[in-house]
Amino acid sequence: MILWQLKKVRPSTSSGRVVLFGMAIFSFPALASAQTIVVSPKADKVAVTVYRDPNGSGAMDLGWLEGFALITETRRVSLPAGEVDLRFEGVAGGLIPQSAVVSGLGDAVSEKNRDAKLLSPGTLIDAYLGQRVHLRRTSKATGKVTEQEAIVRASGNGIVVQTETGVEVLRCTGLNETLLVPHVPADLSAKPTLSVRARSDRPVEAEVTLTYLTSNFDWRAHYVATLAPDGKTLSLFAWLTLANGDETGFVNADTMAVAGRLNREQVERLEPETRSISLNCWPMQRTHQTSSGAPPPEPEYERDGDDAIFVTGSRIARRDLEAASPVTLLKAEQENLGDLKLYRIPLPVTVAANSQKQVAMIEQPAARLARLVVWQRSFDASTEEAELAEQILLFENREKDGLGLPLPAGSFTLYTTRDGQPFLLGEGRMTDRAVGEKVEVGPDTPSSVRVVQRELSRKDDIRRFEIVATNDSPVSQRFEARLDGGGKVEGANSKIVRRDGQWVWATSIPANGSRTLTFRYRAN
Amino acid sequence: MRRLALGIALVAAASPLVAQSAIQPVLPGASRTAQGDVAVTIYNNDTALVQDRRELALAVGRTVQDFPDVSARIRPETVTLTGNGIGIIEQNFDFDLLTPAAMMQKAVGETVTLVRTNPATGAEVRERARILAANSGVVMQIGDRIEVLRDDGLPTRVIFDRVPAQLRARPTLSVTLRASSGGRQAVTLNYLTRGLGWSADYVALFNETNGLMDVQGWITLNNQSGTPYINARTLLVAGAVASADQQQQRYRPQPPRGGMVQAGTETANRERLGGFYLYPLAERTTIADKQTKQVSFLDVHDAPAARGYEYRNAWLGTSQEPVSANSVLRFSSAAGGGLGDALPAGVVRVYQRDARGNPQFVGEHRIGHTPMGSSLSLATGEAFDVKVRAVVEERTRVNDSRWKTRMRYDLTNAGPKPVIVDLVQDGLWGDTRIAAESMVSERKDADRALWRVTVPANGATQVTATFDTRY
Repeated sequence: MILWQLKKVRPSTSSGRVVLFGMAIFSFPALASAQTIVVSPKADKVAVTVYRDPNGSGAMDLGWLEGFALITETRRVSLPAGEVDLRFEGVAGGLIPQSAVVSGLGDAVSEKNRDAKLLSPGTLIDAYLGQRVHLRRTSKATGKVTEQEAIVRASGNGIVVQTETGVEVLRCTGLNETLLVPHVPADLSAKPTLSVRARSDRPVEAEVTLTYLTSNFDWRAHYVATLAPDGKTLSLFAWLTLANGDETGFVNADTMAVAGRLNREQVERLEPETRSISLNCWPMQRTHQTSSGAPPPEPEYERDGDDAIFVTGSRIARRDLEAASPVTLLKAEQENLGDLKLYRIPLPVTVAANSQKQVAMIEQPAARLARLVVWQRSFDASTEEAELAEQILLFENREKDGLGLPLPAGSFTLYTTRDGQPFLLGEGRMTDRAVGEKVEVGPDTPSSVRVVQRELSRKDDIRRFEIVATNDSPVSQRFEARLDGGGKVEGANSKIVRRDGQWVWATSIPANGSRTLTFRYRAN
Repeated sequence: MRRLALGIALVAAASPLVAQSAIQPVLPGASRTAQGDVAVTIYNNDTALVQDRRELALAVGRTVQDFPDVSARIRPETVTLTGNGIGIIEQNFDFDLLTPAAMMQKAVGETVTLVRTNPATGAEVRERARILAANSGVVMQIGDRIEVLRDDGLPTRVIFDRVPAQLRARPTLSVTLRASSGGRQAVTLNYLTRGLGWSADYVALFNETNGLMDVQGWITLNNQSGTPYINARTLLVAGAVASADQQQQRYRPQPPRGGMVQAGTETANRERLGGFYLYPLAERTTIADKQTKQVSFLDVHDAPAARGYEYRNAWLGTSQEPVSANSVLRFSSAAGGGLGDALPAGVVRVYQRDARGNPQFVGEHRIGHTPMGSSLSLATGEAFDVKVRAVVEERTRVNDSRWKTRMRYDLTNAGPKPVIVDLVQDGLWGDTRIAAESMVSERKDADRALWRVTVPANGATQVTATFDTRY
């Protein structure tokens, strides 16, 4: 691996456990030849770049995150001479093995492997199929322990063992009995393991960089916008919320988030294989049991503590969102990454397992905005009764208007202030907006303009329509009716123009007043 | 099921519970696998050919030989066994698994040993029992009493004299053969199996500043066949072989989409056989069960590559707001000015360095089997700063069979460098003519017109066109 530069470091305190397996009878045949296993228990330095689910919206569910992350770990290892199996522990559980890149060992690496066969009671006994184990029985009456040798004859569907007395089935006896095995086979590990096979003719101390993509991550941008009392500017603040749904946390990580849409491909990932011991017996019906005998009670599964989702984190996050723009001391810094935007948290932070983290990403205290009420319909739409038109906020994403920075897609919450307290006006969504773009966002808050649109008459293919807009606020409202239709508009009583493929009537509805548009429409 | 029934019938007719040596040697051999010299050839479509040369200790005449440690997803109909002086009588694949219930079923009519434990004292009493039936409970005869096993709920061990010969710990291939000479003899077992597959994975580190990229190719193979292949010679074949198995058709992966703009005509310096490219692994390797293994096969530095932008508008497509153009990476697999190799199908992952010089992921794209000399254009994602807004400005009817459509395309670039966007209008249906346009287009094919539009840094360019459609 040469892409990431090879770095040799001076011999220093050895890091990593070294386990020597010489002619281990109980290990895998491939490992039966002298093979050194070197374990790198954790990363010395780690960087996490989180990419988001392009279709994600709303709150993130830590149990179902559809974004992903790029993890870059630096590990210092010392390898003995000869053939070495270097195992990386503490990598993310969602690791996509096809994406793993190991650099820093130069040509020594011959292959890299990811094993998903895990150590579990079932796979452990399975590994001893046909081999010698110990059968231990404890007498309920006397507490006396007896042990004897046994060979596992079957393990998939109930355990059959052979002893010098004959063939028996484990735990169909009513006795307290169990199997003891001498070693954990070398090919079973606690977690899916990423390893490389390396070979060197002399001992090597190296700094290895391990890069991989992993699932179980996501992030969101959430804007908190507060309208100034005069309604002419907006204080725009955005949270960058990172979520790690993986069982692995990353301590003191250089943390980044990438905005923009990336192409992803489906890749097949082998799911980890674990099994519990299956203890099927022969038919066990007893005479006092009815023939429709109730099945044995379901074993009570213990809840796995690791699965618990830390709700507190998200609850705190929610409360923060609902306060007006907070004072933050740490803000993600934006840079360009190819055609994407990268947000870097300037200090190393801990991205804990099953947790959410928020930092500020955008703070623009005075973005100039215009307000507009929009009625968007087909030219021949007709309303039963007056309907509310949509309130729109207009920005220009440029510096002289108090913005001028990439605005990644996200949801936003619009507040105003009442009595010195934040007052929620509405919520909405925004797509990725580049610098220089005009931005229209609809916070889904009621406007003060109601509209009635109806057809007045029809003769051949000429139809007459009327649109009446009424305003119940004491302030005049900028208003646009945007009508879809490819035909010709004639004889309008007010100016109506063709813009962006629509007919647009742009006007102002006076305070506590109304305006009426009538026009003839001739279809093509 | 037919085979299983036959097996039972045979056993009943011949010698039930064929006498085996009561207990097998307690220590298994030093090696846990029965595999011999294994060679695995893996194709792309979930098909692999396994060749396993084993040494068997054969007696002269007819013998039944078990072959443990073959793939758990073997296709039994494809098994062939060859060896000097060996004739095959029949091949069986036995699924009659050794489970406690099956063992008790096979013990019906047989005698077993019971060991009862006194719950108060722990004292053990042994007696022999004949199993009468094993239906919804085990009924047995002890002396002149009939009893139900463990009906009293007291601890009782059942000790069988032996494992029934026809019950297997795992599905097992067995071959009945006739050997003309005895002693240790090499035989070769060939079979096809599912559960082994491979694809290529590419890591491309693109340097936008100098227009060069480094590419590494990895062969990624995975083993879900339920069996490890120990110290195997491994050959990977780029290409899919037709499968006679109809059921398999449903699981065939979709052909990879796009990417190759122009198919190459150069021959790569790789081993070929028919239409396949062959990728032998340099050394023997153990492919463990549930393992994903990667081996490097390509390492190219400083190949030229360029970033480009593409936007395709559907016929009569109007976007309410500007839409990001696709960001594509263009390069060649040619010997001159390219990667200089044939590229087996797989995913190309593209990385670029961030401001601190660390590689960051910027997108990926799947390619099909790509000959050497091909031009590739891989969409890795959308450009944040390069956007297109297409608008149908006006659509007027000229007469009953002709329409005029006036289109406007606003291209914007918020980036600090000028870009060229390949703007494509789709859906022209052959008889659509471009009556007027603000810049000259290229008719890619009957359906599509292409404009190569330069958009200045932090600027915008507008393209307009009027289409004259007949139908």
